Amino acid sequence: MARFSRIRRTEEEEPELNMIPVMNLFMVLIPFLLSSVSFLHIKAINTSIPVHADRPSQTVVADTTPKITVVFEIKSDQVRISTLSDTPNDLQRSDEELVFPKQNGMDISVSAVADHLRKLKLSHPDSDTMILIPDNEVTYREIVQAMDCVRTHQSDVLFPNVVLSGSIG
Amino acid sequence: MALGQRRRSSRTFVPPKLMLTSMMDMFTIILIFLLFSFSETPEKIVLGKNLELPRSTADVQYQQALKIILTKNELLVDDKVMAQVRNQQIVGLTPETFQSSPLYRRLKEIRSNVKAEENKDEETPHVLFLCDKSHSFKTINSVIKTSGLAGYPNFQFGVLEEKK
Repeated sequence: MARFSRIRRTEEEEPELNMIPVMNLFMVLIPFLLSSVSFLHIKAINTSIPVHADRPSQTVVADTTPKITVVFEIKSDQVRISTLSDTPNDLQRSDEELVFPKQNGMDISVSAVADHLRKLKLSHPDSDTMILIPDNEVTYREIVQAMDCVRTHQSDVLFPNVVLSGSIG
Repeated sequence: MALGQRRRSSRTFVPPKLMLTSMMDMFTIILIFLLFSFSETPEKIVLGKNLELPRSTADVQYQQALKIILTKNELLVDDKVMAQVRNQQIVGLTPETFQSSPLYRRLKEIRSNVKAEENKDEETPHVLFLCDKSHSFKTINSVIKTSGLAGYPNFQFGVLEEKK
């Protein structure tokens, strides 16, 4: 009887997995990965600067809605938005020019600027280029803020091709 | 006698069993999370204390490219110091003397090496530009203008992702 009970006891004993080597591996891997992981996510804004074109410019195809290029000038105290048209007869469009004073002389009023840009985009849906002309004193932070404002606003794509240029004259 | 025996038996050491299962679960979750965040980063960029990137709503992933880094006090091309920055001005980099600047010469050298290696009509390569947010456009313009003249007119401005 005693022999039977001993056999049953040995059958019921579960085999124990040796977890120590796995734990050791984890203890090595986790500090290594923690040291190499980056918690700051770096993203990118695509932009370019004006360059001298070697190829001849393409002929403008007559279209019902002419393409425009939005000029976004950032001054020390205000933002000036104007447009240039690709159509030779319609180069400067003074009716679409607006000036926005900066809030507290510091930041761009994003919503007001975006509303105006959205109107421009609605009237010229094929247009996607913006020339950004900051003053010399404008900081990089403000330039990036302006780029964010002109590219998209509340999931609306506005003018994603941003060309950065220095002011002339 | 009986009291003495009880005291002796209570002193016998029984090694405690560690409950490793829950710990293993926790470590597995941490490991999977870390492995995922490790694999999605194309290249590790070290942001020093002199480089504070602006925040942006941009969601484009940066690509492996030539890096121009403008910190508060240095200008670097691929981690090699090109010039010092003093009072928001890059030493030795003016619009008149850009062709003799180390930045222009270095970029020209890299551009000619890339051309010689690839020797095919690809689209113009871009530069990953990492700049401290406090710099003025005057300082930035001198760098990007020189870069454009050296054959790199397309840029990717590195920014910190802003949660929407």
